[in-house]
Amino acid sequence: MNVQVDARSIGKAENFDGLLARNTRLNPGDPVRIRVRRFDADRPDQSGFESFVVPYDASMRVLDALNYIAEHFATDLAYRWLCGSKMCGTCAIRMNGREVLACWESVEPDMTIEPLRNLPVIRDLVVDRAPYEARVAKFEPWLERSTDYAGFPEPLSHKDMKNASKALDCISCMSCFSACPVVGLGNLTDFAGPAPLVQLAQTALDVRNDPAKVASALEHAGIFNCVSCYKCEEVCPAKIPIVTRIIEPLKAKTAELVPHAARHSMVFRAIVASRGRIDPSELVLRVQGAKVLLQVGRALRLLLRGKINPLKTLFGKNRGAADAASRILDQ
Amino acid sequence: MKFAYYPGCSAKSTCAELNVALRKVAVALDLQLTELESATCTGAREIRAIDPVGFLTLNVRILALAERDGLPLMTVCNTCTLNLIDANAIFEEDKDLARQVNLRLAEEGLEYKGTTRVTHFLWVLFEDIGAERLRELVVNPLNGLSVAAFYGCHITRPPGKYGFIDSRNNQSLEQLSELLGCKPVDYTGRTECCGFHTAAHDERIAIKLTGQHIQSAKTNGAHAMVTPCPLCHTVLDSFQKEIEKDAGKKLDMPVLHLPQLVGLALGMSHEELRLDKHVVSTDALR
Repeated sequence: MNVQVDARSIGKAENFDGLLARNTRLNPGDPVRIRVRRFDADRPDQSGFESFVVPYDASMRVLDALNYIAEHFATDLAYRWLCGSKMCGTCAIRMNGREVLACWESVEPDMTIEPLRNLPVIRDLVVDRAPYEARVAKFEPWLERSTDYAGFPEPLSHKDMKNASKALDCISCMSCFSACPVVGLGNLTDFAGPAPLVQLAQTALDVRNDPAKVASALEHAGIFNCVSCYKCEEVCPAKIPIVTRIIEPLKAKTAELVPHAARHSMVFRAIVASRGRIDPSELVLRVQGAKVLLQVGRALRLLLRGKINPLKTLFGKNRGAADAASRILDQ
Repeated sequence: MKFAYYPGCSAKSTCAELNVALRKVAVALDLQLTELESATCTGAREIRAIDPVGFLTLNVRILALAERDGLPLMTVCNTCTLNLIDANAIFEEDKDLARQVNLRLAEEGLEYKGTTRVTHFLWVLFEDIGAERLRELVVNPLNGLSVAAFYGCHITRPPGKYGFIDSRNNQSLEQLSELLGCKPVDYTGRTECCGFHTAAHDERIAIKLTGQHIQSAKTNGAHAMVTPCPLCHTVLDSFQKEIEKDAGKKLDMPVLHLPQLVGLALGMSHEELRLDKHVVSTDALR
C-alpha cells in the first residue's frame, strides 16, 4: 500500500520565492529582529554583530530593512545597492547563512545579515570584487576569430548558443562565488569558481570563438576541481543551471581542446567503456600514477576491510555490463 | 513490494557492506529486489560532463532494463539517483535525442518508453513502506544514540529537481532517525558536500571539506553519522584517518550507511550489517 508522501521534499518550507508568498508570517508593525555584521578596517576592535529591531511593512525586502536601519539607527552602515530590481547584482549579502539579493529577498522575523564570503570585506556588507574581476580578466572573455567568416549573415542557431546564452543571464552578483565550498578553501586549488566560469562561458561556449583562445583560458580554469555540489545553482538569483549548463559544457570543451587537463574524466570513461563499471582501484592507479604510493596506508586499511580487492581489479568483469558499455561508449 | 535494484559501482566494490546490509534490511521490510545484473555505471560526474550522449544512453539503458521488468527502480547512491532522474527528464524533453538513444538500445533488443519511476532507498522508506509500518517494525529503538545526518548533495540539490528553495530545509533523514529512536543532531555540515567527485585526482578538497563537517557533527554531540550515499561514506569513513591527520586531532566518528542504521533498529547485529567492515570502528555503538 502506497503512503501519500513526497519523500523527496520532506521539510520543504517554501513553494514560491515571491515576496508576498514568503511574507505571510509577518503583519505590518511586527518586529523584525536583525543582526548585522559590522566591520571597519580602521576600527577592527569594534567589529562584530550589531542588533536592530525594524517594524515590518507590507512586502518588506531585506533591502528595505537595511535602508530603515541606515535612516534611523546607523547612518554609517555600509551596503551596496543600485537598481533595487534584481538587475545590477550589487546588493548580494548572506541572510541566515544563505546568499540572497537584498532587493529580492523578503525579510524573516529573525535575520542575521553578513557580507558575502570568499571576498575581502571593505566595510560592513561591502566586499571587494577585485579578486573576481582579476580572474575574469585573465580569461580574456571576448570573442576572437582566427578566420574570416564566409558571408553575412553568419548562420548561428539557438541550439549552437544554448549554453552561452544561459551564461548571458548572469548579473555578476557573486552569490555563487560566496556559496562555493571549493572557493571557500582559498588557494588550495586553481579552481576559478562559479562566477568567473559563468563569465568565461559567455564566450568560450560561443561557437564563433577561436578554439585556441578558448583552450588557453580553459587550461587555467581548474574546472575539474568543481565538486558538483550544486550550491551555486541553489543561490543563483538569475536561475542559471550553473553546473549542468555552464560547468559541464566547459568540462566537455576542456576534454576536447585541452585533453591533459581532463585526464581523470577521460580515464574514468575509458574504464567504464572496458569494464562496464568503475573499479576504484584502477581509477586511482591510472589517474594518480606514482603518486598513489603516498596512499599505501589507506590502501592497506581498505584491503584489510575487504573494501578493495586486487584480484577483482585484475580479473573481475561483469560481461553483460562491459559489453553494453563498450557498445555505447566506444562508437 | 517489488523493485528493480540498482546498487551502483560503489556498493559493489569499496562499499560492499552497503549492498549486504541493504539486502538484509530489504528482506525484513518485505522489499523484493531484482538486481539489474547487466547494468552499467551511470557515468558519475565524469562521463556525464565530457560525453553527454554516452551518459544519456547508459542511464536510459538502466531505466529500460527496469521498465522491461515492469518494476520501479531503486538506488542506494545519491549520484546515481540524480543521474537517472536527470536522464529520465532529458529523455522526456528532447524527443530527437530520445529517438537516437532508443536506436542504440535497439541493438540489444531494448526500448525505453519513459515510464520508469526512479527512487532511492530513503524515499522508499517513506513512500512505499511508510512511517507507521516502519515504526511497527522497530524492535530495537536506538534510544540514546545521537546521530548526525549527512545528506550529501545529489539527494537534496539541485533545486530544480527536489523543489527546495533552501536545501538545508530537508528533514527526511532527521525524521527517519527519530522514527528509529535516535536523537538527530543539528550541525552545519548536514547538506554540505563531501568533495568525493574530485577525490580521485586530488583528495585535498574532500579531506578539507569533510573534515569541517565531521568536526561540526562531533562538536554538536553526534555519536555517529549516517548517510544515504556510499560516495559520501567513502570520504567520511575511508578518508577519516587522513582527515584526522589534516585536522590534527582524533575524531573517531563512526559513519553508518542508511540501511545499517535501519537494520540496527530492526534488531539486526553489527556482523549481519557488516559494521565491522568500516575503517572507523563502530564498536562504540554496541
